[in-house]
Amino acid sequence: MITVENLAKSFGTLEVLKKINLTFEKGRVYGIVGENGSGKTTLFRCIAGLEKYNGTIRSDFDKLKNHLGFLQTEPYFFSKITGGEYLRLFCNARNIRENNFDVKNIFDLPLNQYAVTYSTGMKKKLALTAILLQNNAVFILDEPFNGVDIQSNILITEIIHQLKSMDKTIIISSHIFSTLSDTCDEIHLLAEGVFVKRVFKDDFSKLEREMKDITIGNKIEKLGLN
Amino acid sequence: MLNRSLNDFGLHPIAGYLLSIPAFVGLSLYLFIKTDLAEYLYLLMAISLILKLSQTTRNDFLKSCFAHKTYYQIRLIENAIIASPFLIFLLYRNCLTAAASLTIVLVTSAFLNFEHKFRFTLPTPFFKRPFEFIAGFRKAFYVFFFAYFLTFMSVTAGNFNLGIFALILVFLICFTFYTNPENEFYVWVYSINSKGFLFCKTKTALLFSTILSMPIVVVLVIFFPANIAAILAFQALGYIYLITVVLAKYSAFPDQMNLPQGFLLAFSLWLPPLLLGIIPLLYLRAVKRLNEILE
Repeated sequence: MITVENLAKSFGTLEVLKKINLTFEKGRVYGIVGENGSGKTTLFRCIAGLEKYNGTIRSDFDKLKNHLGFLQTEPYFFSKITGGEYLRLFCNARNIRENNFDVKNIFDLPLNQYAVTYSTGMKKKLALTAILLQNNAVFILDEPFNGVDIQSNILITEIIHQLKSMDKTIIISSHIFSTLSDTCDEIHLLAEGVFVKRVFKDDFSKLEREMKDITIGNKIEKLGLN
Repeated sequence: MLNRSLNDFGLHPIAGYLLSIPAFVGLSLYLFIKTDLAEYLYLLMAISLILKLSQTTRNDFLKSCFAHKTYYQIRLIENAIIASPFLIFLLYRNCLTAAASLTIVLVTSAFLNFEHKFRFTLPTPFFKRPFEFIAGFRKAFYVFFFAYFLTFMSVTAGNFNLGIFALILVFLICFTFYTNPENEFYVWVYSINSKGFLFCKTKTALLFSTILSMPIVVVLVIFFPANIAAILAFQALGYIYLITVVLAKYSAFPDQMNLPQGFLLAFSLWLPPLLLGIIPLLYLRAVKRLNEILE
C-alpha cells in the first residue's frame, strides 16, 4: 500500500500539487486524469522520488523506488544503444539475471536495432517491457497507450489485468478515456493541483459524459465551422 | 548552443573562446611533434566535425526556416567556421594538399546531407554492462582502430613513445565516455546504494578499459620488454585517472561537470600525487549527490 499525505510541490512560485491525499492499495488499478499541466506527471515523479516535495509518501517497502516500475511519458534513450541493451541495463539495475530477451519480447521489437531509431509507440513498448522484466510490485504508467498501435493497446490492457491479478499496484494516466475505463478500478480527477473527484467503475460512463460536457462546452460553436 | 554550453560549464563565452585558442594551438603543435601521421589525423578530425553538421534532421529544420539561398549561405559559413582553425594551422605547417582537401570537403558538404541513424548495429564486447562503453565505443570505434594502427606503427618504426601515445589515446577516449551526465532516471532505476553504484560503475570502467587497452599493452610488452615498467606505469595511471573521471562525473551529478571538477582534474594532471586527496574528495561528493537519487 502507498499512502500520500499532504503532498505539496511547487516550482518557484507555481504551486503544482496542493496538499493532496491519496491511498493506493495492492491489487488495484488507479487512473489519474486531468488536463495538461494539472500535475499528473509531477505527482508520479514525487511518488518515484525523482522530485523533492513537502508532505509524506509512505509504502510497505523500505525503499519504494526499488520496487517501482516507472514508465515515463517520453522515455529517454541513449544514442547507439540497442533495444536489447536497454533491457539489459534495466535488468542489471535490479540485479535480475535474464538472458533470453527474445522470448520476453512480446511486442516483437527489433531488439538489435538502436532504440533511438524506434517509432514513438515502439519506444513506449520497449520501456514498458523493461519495467515488466524487473518484476516490480508497483507500476506507474504515464500515458502507456500514447502512440501505440491497436494490437499493442489490447496487449497492454491485458498485461494490466494480469498485473492486477498478481496483486500489483498500478497507477495509470491516460488521455484516452476508454483505455482507463477498460483497466481501472477507480479514477481520480486532478485539476489545478488538487483531486476534485474520485469515481468508481460503475460511474465511469457518467464521469466521461461530465468531462465531455465541461471540455467541449460551447467551444465548437465558437469556432464557427460551416 | 556553444555559448550556452560554455555558460553551463561556468565560463563566460568570450573567456571560453579566448582559452580555446592557446589550447587548440598547443594540442595541434603537440600532435605534429608526436607523430608523422598528424596531417592525416588532423584532416580526419576536421572532416568528422564538419560532417556532423550534415545531419538530415538538423538541415531539414534549417531548410524549413530559411530561404534556399540563405540556407546554403548558413551551411557554408558554419563549415568555414569549423574548418578555419584547422585550415589555418595546416597552411602554417605548409600541408597544402591536406588544406586543399579540407577546403573541398568544406564546400561540398554544405550541399550534402547524411542520415546518421544507420540501421547497422556495430557489435561490441560490452553488451553485458550497458551503457557507457557500448555507446562510447560505437561513437569512437575508429579512434580505437587508429590507436591500434599507431601501436603497429610504433613496433615497425621501433618508436616506443608512439606506442605509449596510442595507450594514452585509448584512455583519453574512455574518459570522454564519462563527461556527460546521463538522464537521472538511469541512476534512479538502480536498486543499490550510492557506494554500490559507484563501485559498479568504476568496476565496469576498469574492466572495459582493460579490454580496449590490453592489445596495446601486450604488443608493447612483447616488442619493448625493456620498457615494461613504463608501460605498466602508464596503464596504472590510466586506471587511476579513469576512476577520477567517473567520480568527478557523479560528484557533479545530475549537472554536467563544470569548473570545480575541471580544475581538480587539471590539478591532478599537473601534479598526480594530488590524486591522493582529490579522489577521496570526489568520492564523498559523488556519494552525497547520488544519495539524493538513490537513498
